[in-house]
Amino acid sequence: MASLSPEERANLVAFLDGELDEETSQTLEAKLNLDPQARAEAEALRQAWGLLDYLPKAEPSPTFTNRTMERLSLARASSTQLMPHRKLRRLPWPAAVSWAAAILIAAGGGLAVGSYLGSDMSETAGPDAPMIQHLRIAEKWRYYENAEDLDFLRQLAQPDLFGDDTGT
Amino acid sequence: MALRDPDIRLMLRVRDDDATAFAELVESYHRRLVTVLQHLVSSAEEAEDLAQEVFLRVYRGRKKYRPRAKFSTWLFTIANHLALNVLRSRQRKPVVPLNLRDSGPLGPRPAEQMVQDHGPQPHHRMQQQELAAIVQQAIEGLNERQRIAVVLNKFEDMNYAEIAEVMGLTSKAVKSLLSRARENLRLALREYIYMDGEQPAVSAPLTEKDEEL
Repeated sequence: MASLSPEERANLVAFLDGELDEETSQTLEAKLNLDPQARAEAEALRQAWGLLDYLPKAEPSPTFTNRTMERLSLARASSTQLMPHRKLRRLPWPAAVSWAAAILIAAGGGLAVGSYLGSDMSETAGPDAPMIQHLRIAEKWRYYENAEDLDFLRQLAQPDLFGDDTGT
Repeated sequence: MALRDPDIRLMLRVRDDDATAFAELVESYHRRLVTVLQHLVSSAEEAEDLAQEVFLRVYRGRKKYRPRAKFSTWLFTIANHLALNVLRSRQRKPVVPLNLRDSGPLGPRPAEQMVQDHGPQPHHRMQQQELAAIVQQAIEGLNERQRIAVVLNKFEDMNYAEIAEVMGLTSKAVKSLLSRARENLRLALREYIYMDGEQPAVSAPLTEKDEEL
């Protein structure tokens, strides 16, 4: 199959798709009429394309729309719960700095106390030790329970998630 | 544009927080979307999950929606981004797909299987299924961009300009992409292509009319 030039071969699919300009299309059509080998090449391309019709059609679940609407409701409910975090970003800068300083002090104090207690607890680890170790997760369990997976939670944390909509 | 495309009018209602309009959009587009995604990711369940994610992103981005192009172009642009992410993450971490609908507790029960089997002749069905698997394999052999261009062209009947808009390419790039993709498909499927005077490898696929008979 070497009767077509590289340029003609590059145009062949566009010709079959009706995407070539009039002049190029006529030139290529004339070539195909005269050259059986070129015609066979075009026919092979056309038939290979036709084989894609054998692929099965998708059969989405009949509950697809309902499930999507439920997932949307869940996302909207979660966004309402998370709204206070969005408001923090709009604080004036002196207030934001104060908050940041307070959080840093609290975190530092927490770390110090935690490391002191941690050494104690490791020695007296009881049945509640795993719960204490994952206290942060346990406290926020009701949020995690509503989310389907970790990716979903990460997406919720994206700032542009709800576009300009802050009212829902 | 908005006056000509009823889906744009629907989307403008979605932008105004009309949940009913959103449900209408989901209902009218989900089959097309799942079809395209299924051919891209080769998994019915993953395609449904992705399609849901596409619709949720449409809703989340509703306030930014501007009716500049056909609604379907916007929808498939979002689908293209999501599908590309999935295909690229698969390249980094290959997985073996397990279709739960074919076997295991979620698969069809024997009686359901009998109902499903009551269709075309078993031999004919087997040939069609085998060929479908071979064609799917040929599509999976394309690189991700070729695959997306092929699926949009074939199953969404998009022209080169529309594919270019969805994929963020020029029409010229799409032309080149499809030329290479179609040549790759021809090579992968050459054993199943019959020329004048030869017998076809299998009989033609069933049309809806055939299935009714």
